[in-house]
Amino acid sequence: MAKSQLELLVMYQDIDLMLRDSEQEKGELGFQIEGKEKLDSALNDLAKKINPSFLRTYKKLRTRYKHVIVPVKNNICLGCFAKLPTSYSMIGRKDDRVIKCEQCGRILYWLD
Amino acid sequence: MDSLNLAKFFRKELFIPSLKSKTKNSVIKELIHPLIKLNVIKNESILYQTLIKRETLGSTGIGKGVAIPHCRTLTVSDIYIVFGLSKKGIPFDAVDNKNVHIFFLIVAPPQDKNNRYLPLLGKIVEVVKDSKMHKALLKIEDYNSLIEIIKNK
Repeated sequence: MAKSQLELLVMYQDIDLMLRDSEQEKGELGFQIEGKEKLDSALNDLAKKINPSFLRTYKKLRTRYKHVIVPVKNNICLGCFAKLPTSYSMIGRKDDRVIKCEQCGRILYWLD
Repeated sequence: MDSLNLAKFFRKELFIPSLKSKTKNSVIKELIHPLIKLNVIKNESILYQTLIKRETLGSTGIGKGVAIPHCRTLTVSDIYIVFGLSKKGIPFDAVDNKNVHIFFLIVAPPQDKNNRYLPLLGKIVEVVKDSKMHKALLKIEDYNSLIEIIKNK
């Protein structure tokens, strides 16, 4: 099944984070890290499938926050802990729309 | 790191005594399966693909029959460790090219409280590199014997 824009963004963040962790994994934990270029290229391939405006938003927020896409639990943005409008959860849970927190601007991902 | 009690992260439902897979990709799927049954993954396809991508970075088969596939992903809300054993061994592109018998699958959310993910990963690496513990892990028969080995870690 084709992935939604939100799902692609989640994968993008997962790989982005993996690349950030890799130095520590190599240096402190002793894992062999030899495929950074391959993963960079996988990230670029994924970027081509993401709507450019969403990707711009991700990259812009990435300069401000460690995690751009954050989970929502009990209708609370776990990035800034703001209570979200109830109407958001109906739309957000379907994972087919990119919804941003009104307070902090992070992209929201419903876990419950 | 010392405050992490390793045994606390293991669960009986996430213990696979006899893995059936014969390939790297299928064993990753098999290791994810108990998490699906436990209903703790929001999107199993993202989790699987993220774990496969992590293997692109470098095999998590660290040698001596051990692999620690791992990733951080938004599709889980807590840290989980799945432990799996294979008597026959499974090809996993390990650094020493040997088949893997012991698997620790670790998944964690990006925003983990107290940042336990990398310290936990480090602790597991420490356990499997300890030759006494490594030998004991290879002889594990059931979940209780696993906990017995790691209870003081």
